[in-house]
Amino acid sequence: MRTLATRTVRFTAGCALGAATAVVELPLVLLGGLVLLLAGARPGTARGVPGPVRAVAAALLAVERRRLGRLLGIRIAPAPDDARALRYLAVRWTLGLLGGAVAALVLVGIAYSSLFVYAWWLDDIAYPLAVAFSNLGGLLLLFLACQGVFGTVMLEEQLARRLLGPSHHDELERRITQLATTRAEMMEAVDGERRRIERDLHDGVQQRLVALGMLLGRARRSHDPAHADALLLQAHEESRRALVELREVAWRVYPTVLDEAGLRAALETVAERTPLPVRLDYTVPVPPPRQTGTVAYFVVSEAVTNVVKHSGATRVEVRVGRDGDRLLLRIQDDGTGGADPAGGGLTGLARRVAALDGRFGVHSPAGGPTRITAELPCA
Amino acid sequence: MRIVIAEDSTLLREGLVRLLAEEGHEVLAAVGDATALLTAVAADPPDVVVADVRMPPTHTDEGLRAALDIRGRWPGTGVLVLSQYVEKRYATELLTSDGGGVGYLLKDRVVEVDEFLDALARVARGQAAFDPEVVRQILARSTRTDPLARLTARERDVLAEMAQGHTNAAIAARLHVSLSAVEKHINAIFDKLGLSGTTGYSRRVLAVLRHLGS
Repeated sequence: MRTLATRTVRFTAGCALGAATAVVELPLVLLGGLVLLLAGARPGTARGVPGPVRAVAAALLAVERRRLGRLLGIRIAPAPDDARALRYLAVRWTLGLLGGAVAALVLVGIAYSSLFVYAWWLDDIAYPLAVAFSNLGGLLLLFLACQGVFGTVMLEEQLARRLLGPSHHDELERRITQLATTRAEMMEAVDGERRRIERDLHDGVQQRLVALGMLLGRARRSHDPAHADALLLQAHEESRRALVELREVAWRVYPTVLDEAGLRAALETVAERTPLPVRLDYTVPVPPPRQTGTVAYFVVSEAVTNVVKHSGATRVEVRVGRDGDRLLLRIQDDGTGGADPAGGGLTGLARRVAALDGRFGVHSPAGGPTRITAELPCA
Repeated sequence: MRIVIAEDSTLLREGLVRLLAEEGHEVLAAVGDATALLTAVAADPPDVVVADVRMPPTHTDEGLRAALDIRGRWPGTGVLVLSQYVEKRYATELLTSDGGGVGYLLKDRVVEVDEFLDALARVARGQAAFDPEVVRQILARSTRTDPLARLTARERDVLAEMAQGHTNAAIAARLHVSLSAVEKHINAIFDKLGLSGTTGYSRRVLAVLRHLGS
């Protein structure tokens, strides 16, 4: 109830202010229109509009935007070009005057509905019934006027959205640009991962196998049975290590447990495999969709790996929760901070998240601690 | 032989040092990057250098660059380059550097200890040693305009052995034919490829390979 009252007051003030700006705008619009006619500007484009007209329009628009945002709670993203904004100024004065009228009616309604109070105060009520009727009429007028205020604000919003904000076409263009960018970045991220896998195979598994082969080769060439035995023993050990290494690489490529047992189990495995204590706080009742789960897994796993490699932390806290249709991730350590969001691993993560239309944040002041957050769509 | 090893994987480096020590060679230095390799060679030039192509800091072809550098500055030192995979560009660069004393092996070839030691010895003697796999890939190109297409299967075998840097006697032994048969094949090959090969065996190998890799 209170919020409704404050909103009514704010809206009424907004409408009144809108009327005041309309009074200023109307002559300027007429003048500007005249200038545009003389300058031969083409309708619907910003070409040929003289600089002074543009400057005045920009100043008026700034005032309007502030009024819309502060008093009416209408926030509009800036449009890519201001040609349509000129049209907004050309027509909005009509709404301004309407707003002025309804704001005035609100005041009148307040005056009438409180008639009884003044009368009682002045203490000579000759016709109490008539006064009471006037009061009721005033209340009704007040109610209707408030409705008028709300209606005007709705119209203001529609007009502003249509002419001030990005058009449907602009929105589509922006979306296409964004999709093209995230697609290209996704390819980059995938290539980066492939390079890493290649490096893992060559520098890890292959080296171990070559070392193993060398040990066996040396054992075969050895003329001393005891020495050959010792080499075979080493070779056996080396083969075990090569297998472990292979398992590790395969796990880093894609953890099958993610498909078999879901995100929670996969994250628990990450926690188990991490040499630092990892506290996992997982509060997602329904398993997220596969795509989301996979990205969430990689964000946590990469972030935790980074903590182990670079942060000097003693513990990590991973929180996975849900807020409406978003999956929220937070990985926080108690390390020295200074993580570089532009670094390879973090960039790859940011790209993966962006490709899902999610949000990704790195908060890592020098001296720590580092906090990595991600929001993923989870409908 | 006196040997310097450059390999960034500690595991392999240690393995190579042990292997060569067991074979009675003297390992002067075993380093993990190209800069240290050049320093070690400058301090005491060895008979032969074994260098990994990919080494820190950039993990691209530092080892190869250093090897070419060494061939240029210390003609008495042979270089045997080890690579993770066949990269014809590397082979070609080594070939066109200057004559013998160069080798290019797949890293996995180290597992064939006998072959590896044999290649190392040949490079140290100023001959060439190229990985059978490298040669196979070069020989695999066979278009209609390719003079290789005109070789018989037997001549191709001989060419492949030659390209790896084996002597005529070794080829005869490896292919189980007589030495004169090998010489006959080689002459036929040079005729077909339009090469006059009469000046020392490693130069002939290089000429063949250069011709094939062009």
